[in-house]
Amino acid sequence: MRLSIRAFATFDWRRFGQAHLPMVGVGVILFLMLLAALAPFIVSDPTQIEMRREVNGETVMPPYPPSQHNLFGTDQLGRDIFARVVYGLRTSLIVGILVRGLSMVAGTLLGLISGFFPRIVDDIIMRLTDIMLAFPVILLAMTVTAVLGPGLVTVCLALALVAWPDVARLVRGQVLAIKDQTYVEAARSVGAGNWRLLLRHVLPNCMGPIIVAFSMGIPGAIMYEAGLSFFGFGIQPPTPSLGSIISDGRGYITVAPWYPGFPGLVLTLLVLCVNLVGDGLIDVTSPRAARGERNRRSAD
Amino acid sequence: MIGYVVRRLLQFIPILIGLVTVLFALLNILPGDPARMMAGPFANPDVVETIRQEMGFDRPLLVQYLDNLWNLARGEFGRSYQSRRPILKDMLEVFPKTFQLALAAEITSAFIGIWLGVIAATRRNGWADRLIMAVAALNLSFPLFWLALMLQIVFAVFLRMLPPSGYGAGFDRFIILPAFTLALPSLGLLARITRAALLEVMGEDYIRTARAKGLKATLITRRHILPNALIPIVTTIGTDFVRLLGGIPIIEVIFSWPGIGKYAYDALVFRDLPALQASVIILAVSVSLVNLVVDLLYAFINPRIRYV
Repeated sequence: MRLSIRAFATFDWRRFGQAHLPMVGVGVILFLMLLAALAPFIVSDPTQIEMRREVNGETVMPPYPPSQHNLFGTDQLGRDIFARVVYGLRTSLIVGILVRGLSMVAGTLLGLISGFFPRIVDDIIMRLTDIMLAFPVILLAMTVTAVLGPGLVTVCLALALVAWPDVARLVRGQVLAIKDQTYVEAARSVGAGNWRLLLRHVLPNCMGPIIVAFSMGIPGAIMYEAGLSFFGFGIQPPTPSLGSIISDGRGYITVAPWYPGFPGLVLTLLVLCVNLVGDGLIDVTSPRAARGERNRRSAD
Repeated sequence: MIGYVVRRLLQFIPILIGLVTVLFALLNILPGDPARMMAGPFANPDVVETIRQEMGFDRPLLVQYLDNLWNLARGEFGRSYQSRRPILKDMLEVFPKTFQLALAAEITSAFIGIWLGVIAATRRNGWADRLIMAVAALNLSFPLFWLALMLQIVFAVFLRMLPPSGYGAGFDRFIILPAFTLALPSLGLLARITRAALLEVMGEDYIRTARAKGLKATLITRRHILPNALIPIVTTIGTDFVRLLGGIPIIEVIFSWPGIGKYAYDALVFRDLPALQASVIILAVSVSLVNLVVDLLYAFINPRIRYV
């Protein structure tokens, strides 16, 4: 029995490394992170305005189309969209990791408590998740940012607030499956306290699903931040955000389709890569998927 | 079975009370004076004061809260601060439009998604499989609001095939773009789940038996594989319908679809508590009803599951 639980908890990192698509995802994410981290050394100043430009002896006005000078073209003030996107990427990455980190910590803690402690505590926490899960996510996040005032910190808080219930339920389910295992009983019988049991014996054994949930939740956080910023409830200028760049570009879709187009493409690429990594993690953790693999072979 | 349904419905009452409480608390911390908003920016202070008394905004918060709960318990949604119309009337008008949109999107994604999943599973590891899975992964990664914008550009601005936004008669040209945008991510998810479910069933012994006795491949797929793979597919359609309802506000605002999502968004912008509250309640109730229907469908598809 102990062995099968171990199989849940530990990753076969070698198998993860052998899969092609997840590794491509990891590579692209690392590249985007590097780009975002080194932004000031790579791209020009995203706030630099250029209101007229000479092309073949003629004076033209912005937005300028993509060229070797401006990879993604410029906006209505002649600001380089590539530079704005790279800075926006910083925000997306920070929000994605911060929000998911916050909601994972809160959700895991409440899930552990809910699954381990007496019925009454469990009931209270689970009814709370019921209430939170019944809310339409985007409306609740918008209301919370409207209350707290828009900005990076409040967006992160609002998105973490809507994301923790899922995590709490997942972790609770894991705890319920693990807490009656022999090794937990053994630890209890040699005198380990509740918290020691939870943190040293139960938590490490549900790390597999937790890591998968962490990676699978990042795309949602990134997209919701962009969505909130798109509707003006999220991150406010001068902090750059891909969502607000797309929102700015909305009025120029007929004259400058690259303006809202490229930021969205980069956003899609980022989300796609995080999803690829998540899929890879599921493949190496889920015993169900592994069984499917065997079945597939026997079907041939 | 009936007992189970009743119990599930009763469980929903405390959730609704919690929902209303959270919303009430949030909206009363929200800066902005509803009486001033109703009176307009250039109103006389006396007018604002009159409205405040008329609407009962001058009462203690606890009284307002309990009054609000009591009204809701009697099925009284109140009047919108913004339009002063009875909200129940508004709801009856906007909800069917949202339902149309969600239904059109879910049917589209179910048909195309399952079809693509079947193709992918039956041509496993072939180029069609790889292409479909790549498209599915891509569809799941599009930010909804951006996808909506891009489809508007392509089909309404450049190709001029479809109207960019607005509402016609329900199921007409106006519904195509918003419904399709909503359907795309779901379609990717369904194609994936269908493929995985099919592959799982295809490894079973009875399929090998069916193949061994010489049944045609299409018949095996239709009669033996699909029905047995149906449970995860139906579950996914259910949870996906819920997910789809979550994307509804974004789509409705971008496509100016006069449904409940846009109604709620406008209410939030205007700090219109009763209108926002009513929309959230209706959306939450629809989500839980969908969940209940899915749970009942399980029992229907798989007689081994029984609810008591």
